[in-house]
Amino acid sequence: MAQRLTNRVDLLDPYEVAQLGGIELAARGVVEGFLAGLHRSPFRGFSVEFAEHRPYQPGDELRYLDWKLLARADRLFVKQYEEETNLRSMVVLDVSRSMDWVGGERRLTKLEYAKRLVAALALVLLRQRDATGLIAFDERVRSVVRARARHGHWWQLLAALGELEAGQGTVAEPALRQVTDLLRRRGLVIFVSDLLLDKDLALLALQHLRHRGHQVVVFHIMDPAELSLEGPPEARFEDPETGGAVVARPRELRGVYEETVRRTIDEWRSSCRGGGIDYHHVLTDTPFGYVLRRAAASRSRFG
Amino acid sequence: MGFLHPLALIGLVAVALPPLLHLIGRRLPPTVVFPAVRYLTATEREHSRRLKLKNLILLLLRMAVILFVVLAAARPVARVASGTGHPPTAMALVLDNSLSSGAVVGGRRVLDVLAERARHVLERATEQDQIWIVLADGLPRRVGRAEALAAVDSVTPWPVRLDVSEAVRIAARAVEDAPLPVREVVVLSDLQETALSAGEPSAVPVLLWASPEVPQNRGIDSAHVEPRVWSPSGEVIVRLGGTFPGEAALRLEAGGHELAGAVAGSGEVVVLSATVAERGWLQARLALDPDELNADDQWFLALRVADPAATRVERGVGSFVREAADVLRQGGRIRSGDEVTLADRPAAGTTVLFPPEDPALVGAVNRTLAARGVEWRLGELVDGEWVVTGDAGAARGAPVLRRYRLLGSGPVVARAGGEPWLVRAGDVVIVASRMEVEWTGLPVSAAFVPFLDLLVNRLAAGESWVLGATPGQTVRLPAAARSILVAGEELTVQGGVVVAPLDPGVYFLRAAAGDTVGALEVNHDRRESRLAPAAPTAVRATLGPEANVLGDRAMDRELFQGARRADLTAILLTAAIAAALLEFALASVGGAARRV
Repeated sequence: MAQRLTNRVDLLDPYEVAQLGGIELAARGVVEGFLAGLHRSPFRGFSVEFAEHRPYQPGDELRYLDWKLLARADRLFVKQYEEETNLRSMVVLDVSRSMDWVGGERRLTKLEYAKRLVAALALVLLRQRDATGLIAFDERVRSVVRARARHGHWWQLLAALGELEAGQGTVAEPALRQVTDLLRRRGLVIFVSDLLLDKDLALLALQHLRHRGHQVVVFHIMDPAELSLEGPPEARFEDPETGGAVVARPRELRGVYEETVRRTIDEWRSSCRGGGIDYHHVLTDTPFGYVLRRAAASRSRFG
Repeated sequence: MGFLHPLALIGLVAVALPPLLHLIGRRLPPTVVFPAVRYLTATEREHSRRLKLKNLILLLLRMAVILFVVLAAARPVARVASGTGHPPTAMALVLDNSLSSGAVVGGRRVLDVLAERARHVLERATEQDQIWIVLADGLPRRVGRAEALAAVDSVTPWPVRLDVSEAVRIAARAVEDAPLPVREVVVLSDLQETALSAGEPSAVPVLLWASPEVPQNRGIDSAHVEPRVWSPSGEVIVRLGGTFPGEAALRLEAGGHELAGAVAGSGEVVVLSATVAERGWLQARLALDPDELNADDQWFLALRVADPAATRVERGVGSFVREAADVLRQGGRIRSGDEVTLADRPAAGTTVLFPPEDPALVGAVNRTLAARGVEWRLGELVDGEWVVTGDAGAARGAPVLRRYRLLGSGPVVARAGGEPWLVRAGDVVIVASRMEVEWTGLPVSAAFVPFLDLLVNRLAAGESWVLGATPGQTVRLPAAARSILVAGEELTVQGGVVVAPLDPGVYFLRAAAGDTVGALEVNHDRRESRLAPAAPTAVRATLGPEANVLGDRAMDRELFQGARRADLTAILLTAAIAAALLEFALASVGGAARRV
C-alpha cells in the first residue's frame, strides 16, 4: 500500500507532497502520478491537420498511435496535429498578500499551494509541447515569463516561481491585459487566485480574454479555514492586504458567513460558466492530482 | 404587591451584570489576521440589524432571568381578592408596654406611637373577629373590639420586662384554637434585642411592627450596700449601664437627705460612701440625671443602720481576737459594753463562742449551751486541712487546720470540709475553731478583722435579709418573714411566697412579733434599659422564618389577609426558567444554522 501511494504522489496530501522536496520534485512527482492514471493525454483537442510525430508516452490515446510506423520501425510514435502543437498557454498567478496565508497546521499557504499547482500544470503542458508562460501579479505585474515550448523552459518557469514572494494588494486587470499582448493567437489562459479582488473588474477582464478567443480556466484557491469563521468569542478580523478590520463574534456570524462564502463561490461559478470560463474551486488540502484531473476533464469540453 | 424579604431586592443590582459584562467583554478583542474579511464584511453588513436585534433580545432575556430570580428571592406576595373586607380573623395583639416603652423619641413616648398603631389595627377589626390583647404582664385577655380600644387608650408603661418571644408564643396558643379561618399574632413593640428569647417558633403567622426610632439610653444596672449593716457608715456600689455618651450626676438619698453624690458615665462602677444619722431600717434611693428613659434612672436600696455593737472580750478567746477587737473599737466599728460577748464559754446575752483552749472545758460549754436551749454541741476535735466556704464574708477561703465537730441542727453560716464550722442559734454564734495559728490561718490574714466585724455586727447583732426582685417577679421570703409592708399596709405572706409589687421601691418584711427582719428591694430589670433593636435574623430565629418586621404599608397590607395572600415566587421562578430556555434556544440558532 505504501509503495502504491508513493507511486501516486498526485493523490497525496499537498503538505506531504511539499515535504518531498522543492517545487520541481513535487510537481514532477504529481505529474508522473497524474499521467500514469490517465487513459488519454490531458488538455488535448482534436485536429485533422497532421503536424509531426512524437514518442508515445503513457496516457496517450492509442487511436493516435502511428501503427504503420510501429509496424515498420517497431517504435511507438503518436501523431500530433497542427492545432495542438501550437497551443500557447499563459498562467496568471496571484501573489498578493492574501495568498500568503494558511489557516491551520500541516497545510500549505495558498501561495505555496498555487506555485506547486502551477508548476505541475506547466509541466503537463510542456510535455505536450505546448508553449507555456507565466505572469505573476499583486497590485501590479510582478513577473513575466514568456510562453515557450522548448525543452528546459519548465526550469525557467520553476526559477520564476521560486523567486516569487507575497506582495501587497490584488489588482488583476493589468496582468490579464498583458496576457492579451503576450498571447496574440488563441490560446489557454489559466488564472490562479484566491479571487479576493474586485469581482466585476476581474470578470470583465476574463470575459474580454474569452472574447478574444482564448480558453480561460480559473482556479479559485481557498484555505479550508476560509470556508468557516472560527476564533475567540469576539475578535477583530483584519484584512492583511488593506488593513481593514471587522469586530465580530464568530459564534454569532458563523452560519451566515458560511452562507455568504457559499453564495460567493456559486456566483463566481455561475458568472464564469455564463461567460464560457472554466471555474474550479480548489481547497489547499485537495491533492494536486484531483485538481489536475478535474481541470483536464472540463478542459476537454473546450477543445 | 409586597415582599416578605425586601432585603433580597438589593440583588436587583445584579440585573446590570449582563450589559456590564457585554461592555467589558468588547473592550479589547484579540486581532486575527483573516484574508476573507471581505466576506465577513458583507455578512456583517447584511445581517447586522438582525444580529443586533438578536443580541438585544438575548441581553434582555439574561437580564430578565436575573430579575425574576431576585424578585422570587424577595418572596413577593399579592392580594388575590378585591374589596375592603377580610375573612373572620382570630387576632392576638401583643402591645409592648414594658418599661422601655416609656422612652421618649422626638417628644413622644414610644408607647404612644405603639398605641396609635394598635388603634389603627383595631379599627379595622370587625364584629366577626376574635381579639386577644397581650400586655407587658404576658397574659392573653379575650376582649371585644371596644374593650380592646379602651385598653389601648388607657395603657401606660409598666416597670416590667416583656419577653416578646414568650408573649408571641402565648398569643399564638390563645388564637390557634379559635374556629376562624384566619389566625394572626400582631406584635407592636420597640422590639429590643433583649426582649427576645429562644424557644419554639410560632405556628401562627406573626406580623411585627416596630417603633421606628430608639434613643440612646443610660441607666442604673445594679446597686448594693456594703456592709449589710451600717454602723452608721457604709458604702453603696453602683454600676451604670447603657450607651448614652457623656456623664451624669448620681445622687444617694435617704430620709429626705442627700447622702452622697458623684458624676459618672455609662459602663462605670461608682462607690458612694455615706454616713446616716438615723437608726433602723431605711429606704435609700439612687437617682441619676434623667434622660429619654426615666424609669431606669433610679434604684431603691434597703439600709439597715445600727450603732456599733457594745462588745466585751473575755481573755479566754486568745490574743488575736482581743487585738482585733481593739482595732475594731479604735475604728468605731464596736464600742465597749455588754451587748455582745466574745468568749470561750456561753455568756449572758448575745455571745460569739470560740472553743475553749482546754479540751476539758468542752463538756461544761456543751452543758451551758443545752441549758440555753441551743441545739449545737462541740464534738470531736479533729485535725486536717480544710477551706472555709459559705457566707463567711472575708473569711471565705481561709484555711482551717483544727476544729471541733459541731453537732446539732439549725442554720449553718459557713462550713469547713463540708461540715458546719460557723453556726448561729438564737443569740449564740459558734465558731468551730479557736482563732490561733495552730487552728486556722485567719488570725494572721488581712481577712481577720473584717471577719470579726461580721461576727459582731451582723451575726451576733441579729440576722436580717435583703432580697432583690424585679416588678411582678415571684419571690420566696425567709421563714421569719410573716408579712410585707406595701403602701403602708401590712400584707400577710401566704406560703412564704410573694409577687413583687409593680412599683419599684423597698418593701420591709415583718416577723410575727412585728419586728422588721428584712426588706425586698424591687427595681427595674436592667435588660429593659438596653434599647438596641433586634436584628431581623434574630427575630426570625426566635419567632420563625416568616416573622418579618413590617413597615406601615406592609402591615396594613398583611393584616387580616393571611388567607387571601398569594405567593408569587413560583410564578417568577417559572418565568425565570422560561426566559433561560428561550435565551438558550435563541443563542443556539447560530450553531444550528452552521449545520444546514
